[in-house]
Amino acid sequence: MNNNPYLPEMATVQEVITETGNIRTLRVTLDNKERMDQFSFRPGQVGQLSVFGTGESTFVINSPPTRKDYLQFSVMKTGEVTSRIHQLNAGDKVGVRAPLGNGFDFEAMKGHDILFIGGGIGMAPLRTLLLYMIDNRADYGDITVIYGARSPKDLCFTYEFADWRAGNVNLVLTVDAEFPGWKERVGFVPTVLNEEAPSPNNRLAVVCGPPIMIKFVLFNLKELGYEDPQIITTLEKRMKCGIGICGRCNAGSKYVCLDGPVFSYDQIRAMGGEL
Amino acid sequence: MAVKIFIATDQLDSVLEKLATKIDLWIPALLKEDKSGPTGFIPYEPGKSPVFERQTTLPTKKLLLPQVETLLRFEYKKDPEGGSTSSIVVDDARQVRPTLVFGARSCDVRALITMDRVFSQGPYVDPYYVERRKNTFFATLVCEQNDSKCFCSSVGGGPADMEGSHLKIVKLDEGYVVEALTKEAGSLLEGLGEAVDKAKDTKAGKIVKEASKRIVGDLDTKGCAEAFRNRFAQNDFWVQMVSQCLSCGVCTYVCPTCYCFTITDETQNLKGERMRSWDSCMFSQYTLEASGHNPRPTKLERYRNRVGHKFSYIPEKYEGILGCCGCGRCIRSCPVTIDIRQVVGNLKENSNEQ
Amino acid sequence: MLETDRNQLHKLVEEALPELDMVIGWGQSTDSFQTTPVFVRDAKQISQLTLGPFCSQNLTGYLVKPPALDAAPKEGAKPIGICVKGCDSRSLVALIQEKFLTRERVRIFGIPCRGTVDWNKVGKLVDLSNVKSATVEEDVLVVDDSQTTHRIKLEEVLARKCYGCRYPNPLIQDVTIGEPATPRSTSIESSYRDVDRLDAKPLEERLDFWQSELDRCIRCYACRNACPLCVCQDKCIIESREPRWLTQRVGIPEKFLFHFIHAMHLAGRCTGCGECERACPMDIPVTLIKEKLNKIMEERLGYSAGLDVEAVPPLLTFNPGDTEI
Repeated sequence: MNNNPYLPEMATVQEVITETGNIRTLRVTLDNKERMDQFSFRPGQVGQLSVFGTGESTFVINSPPTRKDYLQFSVMKTGEVTSRIHQLNAGDKVGVRAPLGNGFDFEAMKGHDILFIGGGIGMAPLRTLLLYMIDNRADYGDITVIYGARSPKDLCFTYEFADWRAGNVNLVLTVDAEFPGWKERVGFVPTVLNEEAPSPNNRLAVVCGPPIMIKFVLFNLKELGYEDPQIITTLEKRMKCGIGICGRCNAGSKYVCLDGPVFSYDQIRAMGGEL
Repeated sequence: MAVKIFIATDQLDSVLEKLATKIDLWIPALLKEDKSGPTGFIPYEPGKSPVFERQTTLPTKKLLLPQVETLLRFEYKKDPEGGSTSSIVVDDARQVRPTLVFGARSCDVRALITMDRVFSQGPYVDPYYVERRKNTFFATLVCEQNDSKCFCSSVGGGPADMEGSHLKIVKLDEGYVVEALTKEAGSLLEGLGEAVDKAKDTKAGKIVKEASKRIVGDLDTKGCAEAFRNRFAQNDFWVQMVSQCLSCGVCTYVCPTCYCFTITDETQNLKGERMRSWDSCMFSQYTLEASGHNPRPTKLERYRNRVGHKFSYIPEKYEGILGCCGCGRCIRSCPVTIDIRQVVGNLKENSNEQ
Repeated sequence: MLETDRNQLHKLVEEALPELDMVIGWGQSTDSFQTTPVFVRDAKQISQLTLGPFCSQNLTGYLVKPPALDAAPKEGAKPIGICVKGCDSRSLVALIQEKFLTRERVRIFGIPCRGTVDWNKVGKLVDLSNVKSATVEEDVLVVDDSQTTHRIKLEEVLARKCYGCRYPNPLIQDVTIGEPATPRSTSIESSYRDVDRLDAKPLEERLDFWQSELDRCIRCYACRNACPLCVCQDKCIIESREPRWLTQRVGIPEKFLFHFIHAMHLAGRCTGCGECERACPMDIPVTLIKEKLNKIMEERLGYSAGLDVEAVPPLLTFNPGDTEI
């Protein structure tokens, strides 16, 4: 990154993938080839994507550092910047400020069994770590993924589920209600979690999804015997500067943009503040 | 030896005029033709007389963090061949000129202790702030006008506190003794004013000594960070403390240490700017997420955050320093007379009584 | 007299409190002279309540602003008691007219008003930085600044709105505290003197006036948030992100736009309580903009906001056959 942390690097959209009705995935490359080659980050770190004239928004870089042909961002259309991002096509210019934030402590996770629990767009931050682990499969034990969405149409990354499974991942897919042609599980994520009941022994749970899902997943994880430090999540907040200065994304004295977005539940409890 | 000059009252304007040829000069002045009206810092113009008699309504904050500033400019270039590809030229629009604030107060400058840490203690350094900071000099009045809302001594400062200042101004009946506190500031004084005679020097010394001894404010801030944490989840406490709050932004905008900002893009045709502007944690939009979720949905959480930020989060993050300079402006300007000293004071009380 | 009235207020509140959720009134701030809104839920707090010329805040906004005390009360919820001056009562009427409140939701402690003190004006006469005490003796404000005791005629230091006040006595109330007050104005002419004075100036001068006044605006939105009828609050068009109507810039155009949108949204609704002007930290006469609109409303449509609970505000209705539009 240059010496002005507010100045984005120019980048080009290489490909746009329509994931669901309101989620699109952008694959972008930095225009400065040398920078792109040298670009290094940790899974879970985020980037500020800018559309000049509309603004910036924060997204996790959901491609893993082990696959650097492009940086991938998945964007749900919710506000002004995301709506504008949804209008972008291959070849369009964007700005990128990345990597920002802390990322997952994938080193400390080595040797553990891993349980990913994702809901809807919440699979994006998990994907980067999941792919990283698949690419370093020997370092990790059992990898189970419980991924759910309202309906099959609302699942992201459907085109690579087969690859995940081929990477020796126990992928449990679920949707909220029966759907014609749906052959996987039916039921809310927290319920499916209880049915699967992966043992907490030597296991870390990485959770991301809508607040209501998180709430019940947390409850069920505790019931299953998971302790706070074993539960890891990525927080979301309205962000502007992305570098721990502008003030809005704090929870207690921690800034989600700088000290996060990845926190374990014991950390979240210790920092207090509004979520 | 430190450079020290005397400026006779009737010579002030001509000295300021000369100073203004060396550096961009800002002075505290009336913002309305009304002796008791609102005041703030404005660029010096010959004939404009500085207001040294009272604290300004608005602090010096905007000199280092303008209410609106351009972070970068961009321009979309249409590809002459047509097609969707357009290139964008982005230029970081920094423009900083050496500036002297003549007539700041120790509370204003004290605020920079907080600001400096936020903007330059990293891990990211804010180049806009840092460059302005490096190029902005403060000639600070030894303060004799503290009023019932001031509490600088309670937060680590004091009426004669010169930490962070470059020049010290002592007002005598017949004029001003101005002393350079840094070498660079000394060169600003070259060729200005007259020598300080023994009598004036003694008088000035006495004023400084007396001001240094004065304790302004009796708020006990010891342990406030922990007290805040204990109070955090006590909803009743916050209902009692801030039901009056209107959730407007006065307290944050007149505050020398409130630095929170937003970033927005503005465009016209193919050109535009990314701007940084003051924001306020009192506004609901400040934390409102696009999903509709707001972690601080009401004034209770918002005001609590303001208190927490200044008296708990900042001290926790930066070696115990407080995010408050004790200037009292938020108390003076609050339309419903909320007194932050009362809120902070009550953090520690064990009872929920007001 | 104030003492008697205060005692009467305390007695009435004490009697009513068991039937009420709370009583919103004025209490002394940490300052010796300014008041701050207090929310009395417990009989122990009643002694905090005060009245008189220092009680400048219009408290009616608290009834409807987020977090509204209880905007949509549950069935059987107790009414909220509120202290109102004449001008405040008009805000209450307007809020009831616009159905933000029902009459039954509030128990109104009406307080005839002899004018409220504008401390900016007092500040021109007395150094307010170290006031030891300030009291009112009949029509004289007595300020002790620890060196001198200043005696100032109240009539000289009232809020600007008070001089044109036609309704010093609450227009809607359950109980009255004290004797009725005599209106300072009884006609449109004497109520809008400041508007007329400004209107008498040439257009360029008026533009200059507003440019130099509004130039001081810091966009803190105290005027908006203090206004009991600025009911959009968190949904205000000024801060809307999508679409974004107003930039973050602080040029005259942005300030004009904000203040005139604010005023236009109050056209035919503003009751002239002066809260916007009182709240302004930069001493901008923002109520004057609304007074101009109020004057037009009175002259053209014969309507003053907040006088009659049953009246329909002319800008909240329309008649397809109206030939004037």
